[in-house]
Amino acid sequence: MLENPTTKANEKRKGWNWAKFPPLAVRLILGSVFIYASADKIIHPAPFAEAVNNYQILPETLINLTAVILPWLELILGIFLILGLWLPGAVLLSNFLIATFFGSLVFNLARGLDIQCGCFNTSQEDTYSLCMCLYLIRDGIFLLLGLYLLFLTYLRKPTGTGVRITKY
Amino acid sequence: MKKRWLVEMICAEEQYINLPGETRNMKRYMESTGLEGIGFRMFWQAGAIVLLAVTIGVLVNQIRSDRLPLVADWSPEARLTFESGTSMVISLEEARESFFSQKVVFLDARPPELYQEGHIQSARNLPWEAVEEYFDAVMTDIPQDSLIIIYCDGVNCELSKDLALELFYRGYEKVRVLVNGWSLWKENQLPIKTGHSPGA
Repeated sequence: MLENPTTKANEKRKGWNWAKFPPLAVRLILGSVFIYASADKIIHPAPFAEAVNNYQILPETLINLTAVILPWLELILGIFLILGLWLPGAVLLSNFLIATFFGSLVFNLARGLDIQCGCFNTSQEDTYSLCMCLYLIRDGIFLLLGLYLLFLTYLRKPTGTGVRITKY
Repeated sequence: MKKRWLVEMICAEEQYINLPGETRNMKRYMESTGLEGIGFRMFWQAGAIVLLAVTIGVLVNQIRSDRLPLVADWSPEARLTFESGTSMVISLEEARESFFSQKVVFLDARPPELYQEGHIQSARNLPWEAVEEYFDAVMTDIPQDSLIIIYCDGVNCELSKDLALELFYRGYEKVRVLVNGWSLWKENQLPIKTGHSPGA
């Protein structure tokens, strides 16, 4: 569909394109979440290594490496998402990370492992299930936000003018 | 007019003519879907971001005072061994002997609701998550030189380790941990019980 040149000119005059607001807001939200999540892990790597171990998914040899590298990856992704740097790569990695966290939660919920203590919990009617479900909902929302950015970055078809929106 | 159209078509095809079949088809597909540039960019950018994180993470870890060894032993035995080399781990055999000789106090570090569903017979419940609240009531009649065996459930369960360290620092010297205690005890059909803790 061809754009109306008058509308485009008006938008330019106003100096702000409202269509850019939702992707920008999502980037700011996800970026802030990544930075916030990384801070405590960078300051306290040992407890984070224990938390990684509690998930009981990675082999022993990768636990400390993950605890050393993952927080910095989150911090860099957060900064890149907020500043709009290297968005295709940052969005792809963000989605990969969020999907991995989400998958790990689902996996441990299914096998009844309490990730807060690394212990098995067979009780289904206590706060454990509730907490896990809240984590799942939280990560599910992040995943949806990430997929929204992924859609805008990769899957949005070229417009009639041949301009593909890759930066927003 | 028709001739011009034909020339344009041939020129458009020429850019593919020297490419091998699969590459040609892929290139055509990617161009038609608009993926060519962005597909390449997403991979090198993602790779570069990971490389940056690895470099910064490892470098910062090496220069900080509380650095982690990049590869560590996370087995229960290693995690339950003091720097002096003394291990807190007790084997099932030893725990069983102590149980039948009645010279031991078993402590269940799991939450009360799990304890009530089933626990080692005669074990008291001292949930790690509420240790301050339960401590006086549960530990009041246990001398500090008693052998205490702590357990929870799962090989990597941290509750028993955390509780053992807490008791150790409070002056209980003979504290041991039965790794994956509840599951092991049940699997070996040793005496169990349900209901409230005698110390609660």
